[in-house]
Amino acid sequence: MNDGWLALLQQALSLLFSLDPDVWSIISVSFTVSFAALLITLVPSMVLGFVLAFSPFRGKWLVTNLVQTLQSIPTVVIGLLVYLLLTRNGPLGDLKWLFTQEGMILGQMLICAPVLIAMSQAAFTSVDRRAWETSRTLGASWGRAVWTVCRELRMPLLLAIVAAFSRILTEVGCSMMVGGNILNVTRNIPTAIALETSKGDFAQAIALGLVLLILALLLNFALGSLRGKAMPRSH
Amino acid sequence: MTQVKLTARDLEMSFGSRRLFQAELLELRQGDVIYLQGDNGSGKSTLMKILAGLMQPTKGNIEAAGFVRHAWWQRNPLLGKAVYLHQHPYLFDGTVEYNLNYGLSFSTEAKTKAKQRTAQAIDMAQLGSLLHARASNLSGGERQRLAIARAWILQPTLLMLDEPTSNMDKDSQALVLQMIQQLKQEGTGMLLSSHQNCALTAICKQQWHIEGERVLISSQSIQTTPIEGSLYVVAH
Repeated sequence: MNDGWLALLQQALSLLFSLDPDVWSIISVSFTVSFAALLITLVPSMVLGFVLAFSPFRGKWLVTNLVQTLQSIPTVVIGLLVYLLLTRNGPLGDLKWLFTQEGMILGQMLICAPVLIAMSQAAFTSVDRRAWETSRTLGASWGRAVWTVCRELRMPLLLAIVAAFSRILTEVGCSMMVGGNILNVTRNIPTAIALETSKGDFAQAIALGLVLLILALLLNFALGSLRGKAMPRSH
Repeated sequence: MTQVKLTARDLEMSFGSRRLFQAELLELRQGDVIYLQGDNGSGKSTLMKILAGLMQPTKGNIEAAGFVRHAWWQRNPLLGKAVYLHQHPYLFDGTVEYNLNYGLSFSTEAKTKAKQRTAQAIDMAQLGSLLHARASNLSGGERQRLAIARAWILQPTLLMLDEPTSNMDKDSQALVLQMIQQLKQEGTGMLLSSHQNCALTAICKQQWHIEGERVLISSQSIQTTPIEGSLYVVAH
């Protein structure tokens, strides 16, 4: 590592630890928008995943494949779709959500939901049927039995949540198109990194990149610790 | 005290076009100990699950007499009272203690009595030294003992035991037999399946045999006397 790199790293750390208002505003926007999108989508997506795993309804194959496909749609395409919905002449134009955090939340919800649905469906499909039967025969109500099954599947369900959160926290395309990258309003970590890099201001980009790296490390260590406690099941 | 009885009429179970079994009349009442026999795949486990309220039969109905009627959102009165034990029991992720106490959170039993019964179950199943061990680390016999102790604590009115002593050493079998005999003394009705005759099957007073897609009842004829108390259809 040469002196230039070291200097950049020092500047980046200084921006973070000196509580630079611009940097922390960007971090705050990122987390506010992504947490909101995740919280709104979480329960309905998990319920849909549960229904797709256990209910034999007509068209289940189609819905499952549609959800799988939606997972791989580029975020910029979702951004385009949301832009067209929210633009002044669009069907949701009256909401005036274009270039606002609400618009970004809507876009991130559309990115987040397919990941949560598909991964929770996979988790629920893998559940041992005896967990449900044992819970019910020991007297659990339907709701408590669902809760027990979710508890048994907490690792794959947590992985689904982390994967969905990572996807929305780090996506650029949709946030850039729908949010417009306005400082202190809609500028989040990925759009700021893209902008600062294009301007040649690497210190801020590195500072924000470090935040994402630290978050990824923390999440992985937390999951690793939980995974360690969840021993393989024997029959 | 009202006697508890399950009556299954014109029962039929099929999976797709494959018919598993049919039975005109089956009765399981408190105090009965019935030995269920049949070849692999004949439907023993399925019949037990139907009688425990975990599965719906393809045809026929099951009347439950003497069970406490729950609120409308808990329509099946058999759950928690007619307990089914899997051949390979499922233990929840957690400690032995967590598994033992699992059913108690849904029980209406007084706390002191439940505590006393739990202590007794731990003693009978010899699980005292394993209370804080993870259930996933137990041996086959210990798992089976824990599953039976977990059901025993609830003092079920009916108990369906699916091959309860398979993969068990003699000591574990003796412990399980002791628990089951105590349940029998307390009046729990039991339906148990086993591939070989053992001490457990010796306590059975009646036999059901699934053969040629029919459930046949041993020589003893079934009393069909009406029973006082609530009577309602739980599967139709």
